[in-house]
Formats: sequence, structure tokens, C-alpha cells
Amino acid sequence: MVMAAAAGAQRIRADMTCASTGTDFVYDCLIRLTPATPGVQVTVGADMPSMPMAHNVKPVKARPGKLPGEYRATLDLEMTGEWAVKLRLSGAVRDMLVLHHVFTESGTAPRK
Amino acid sequence: MDEYALGVLTNIGLFSFVALSAYLLLVAGELSFGQQAFFGVGAYAAGIATAMLGCSLALAMLIAALLGSLAAVLVGLPTLRLRGLYFAMATLAAAEMFRILFELLHWQVQVEGEPVGPDGTQGFRGIRWIFERGVQPEEFLAMVWVLLAAVLVLFFMVERSKLGATLRALGEDPALAGALGIDVVRFKLGVAAASGALAALGGALFAHHNTYIEPRNFDIMLGVHSLAYALIGGLGTALGPLLGVVFDLGFLEASRLLQEYRMIVFGGLVALLLAWRPRGILDERVVHWLKARFFLH
Repeated sequence: MVMAAAAGAQRIRADMTCASTGTDFVYDCLIRLTPATPGVQVTVGADMPSMPMAHNVKPVKARPGKLPGEYRATLDLEMTGEWAVKLRLSGAVRDMLVLHHVFTESGTAPRK
Repeated sequence: MDEYALGVLTNIGLFSFVALSAYLLLVAGELSFGQQAFFGVGAYAAGIATAMLGCSLALAMLIAALLGSLAAVLVGLPTLRLRGLYFAMATLAAAEMFRILFELLHWQVQVEGEPVGPDGTQGFRGIRWIFERGVQPEEFLAMVWVLLAAVLVLFFMVERSKLGATLRALGEDPALAGALGIDVVRFKLGVAAASGALAALGGALFAHHNTYIEPRNFDIMLGVHSLAYALIGGLGTALGPLLGVVFDLGFLEASRLLQEYRMIVFGGLVALLLAWRPRGILDERVVHWLKARFFLH
């Protein structure tokens, strides 16, 4: 599991799992923030490390999931490969967490 | 203004620094494919300064600019005697050396129980100065654009001065400039130092905007785009590179409907544009015409 953490008293960690929707390069992602903190909004963007401003995804707001701290987002990428997924937290906590995942045709795996 | 628009405007500002650094060298007659190295030096230096050493952002940017300038001088000393494509290739090789150095850089300290610092290919996480200080996205955007405006004012002042004329003369014909008594290599070294500092300033801001950097952020793609920004926007004025960044990022954002094909379309458009206007949209002729039309009458 790749974890990203925010510093300070409100240190939050995140992990993410994604599955292909069946449409090319579109993935359903489940994000878990720990500890679960009420009042946090999550916006999810992504870019390719070698060209962050050219190959990127327009940020989308994540929907709250079934459990506290869970969020769901649909990522529509341009291609498979390694992406740096950026979770922008706002509301009760303001931070940015970066998770590196390798997106394949079937799903994703954290970068080793 | 929503978060997305703020992000795009911030990126335009950030990459304008590296575009201006490539522009400065182009005006002096040198085609560099290596400005991403100094952008990277600035990003790493400023990140280390704030996240690991506890410096303020202002001090971190000063350190970044000085180190970016020093790195550019170190690259310039052996390469600025080369001409044309040889110089371009040498700068590209130097930039790759810097990228590999970033990959070899492992130096982490514990900050609030978490390792913070460069970790080779795994990158450098936790550059969180703007979040720790509660700097809002709008405030960071203002910070970037105020600094960029100050740099542009400096460019306009230089372009209207004897120094600017010397710079253009050097770019047009270095042999003639040398015959007129200009120390060509020394002058170009000064230009390289200034361009390295500019790129490093952009890198310092980029690192703090992203909170995370890694060596691949500073590879050849950024170098090519830096040159493209300056060449698309035009070499007649310092506003040219800015226009190039707006054109580049604006087109890329506006063409999302084309999905994975947008880079292919974009590349074709750039090729056509440069065939039509080899020195960019705001080239010297257009700038002279605009000045004559709007400022002299």
C-alpha cells in the first residue's frame, strides 16, 4: 500500500484502489483517508511525472463513500502508465497528498 | 474563481519563469535544451530549505536562485564556447546529468515523525510550506504573478537599455559583437547565470505548489516545452514567452475533448505555426510595428 501523509496535528494518510470501468482509461477509484475526519472534501487530479502540465487530468470532486473516510472518484486518464494522483483536501483540513499508481488496462497498482 | 482555474493560472505563471529563461538565452543567440535542470535545482534547493531546514519561502527562493545561477555558470563554462546544435546537445547532456544526480540524491530527516527529503527516484514529498502557513490558493497565485510581473518589468528595463542592445547584438552576430569590444563568452556567461536563476525561481515555486517533486519532473520534455514557449510566443519581447505558455497550456486545457490525441494535434499546430512564423507570434517585426503604431504616434 502506498501511503501519503500530511504533516501537523491533522496528519492524514491516504490509500487508494482503482478498477477499470471497462471504458478505455476510465477508472473507478476508492480513496480511504485515515483517520476519518468529518468535513473534509477531496478533489482528485492526476498527472504524469514526466510532463506534469501537459498530461494531466482535470480535477474532479470525490463523492463520499459508504464508510467514514471513504471517497469515490472516477478518473478519466489519457493513457495507461504511471500517474501521480493528487488528492487535494479542503474544508476541515487543507492539504495535498500525492499517490503514485501504475494504471494498466485492468486496474492499478501502487508504484514500487 | 474555482480551484481548477486557479491551478491553470498558477501553472501558467510557474512555467513562464522557465520560458523566460529559455527566451533570454535565445535572444543571446543560444538554443538551450537544458533549462529544466536549473528549474529542478531550484525546486530541490527550495524544497530542502523550507521542508528540511525550516527556512522561509523567501529565503528558500533566494537560495534557489543563487544555486540555479551557480549551476548555470558551471554548465556554461565548458559549453558556451560551442555553437548552435553543439551547444544545444551539450545543454541537453548536462540537464540529463542533473536529472541523474537528483535520482542519486538521498537525504531525509524526520519531521514530525515522517521522513522528509529527497529519496532518489521515489521523489521528495512533504514540501508543505504553503499548507503549514495557511497560504490560500489565491494568495499563492498572487505571489507567483507579482514575482513574474517584477521579472517582466526588469526585462522591459533591460530591453530598453544599452545592455539590451548588447544582448540583441550578441544574438544577431557574436563575431561582430566581439569585434566591437564585447567580451562574448563573459557576457554569455552572465546571461546563462541570469537564465539559471530565473528557471530556479520557477522551480522553487513549482515545488511548493505541488508539495512533491521527483527527478522525472525535470526531464527533456520540460526542456523542449520551455523552448517551444519562447519560440511560439515570439522573440521580439519578453511578453512572447508568456504568450507561448498561455497558448500551450491554454490549448492543452481547451482541447481535452480530443483526449489522448490532443498532444498529436498540438505538435502539428506548433510545427505549422513555426513554419509560418519562425521567430514566433510576437517576433521583432511585429513588436516594432506595434511600438510604432501605439507608442510612437
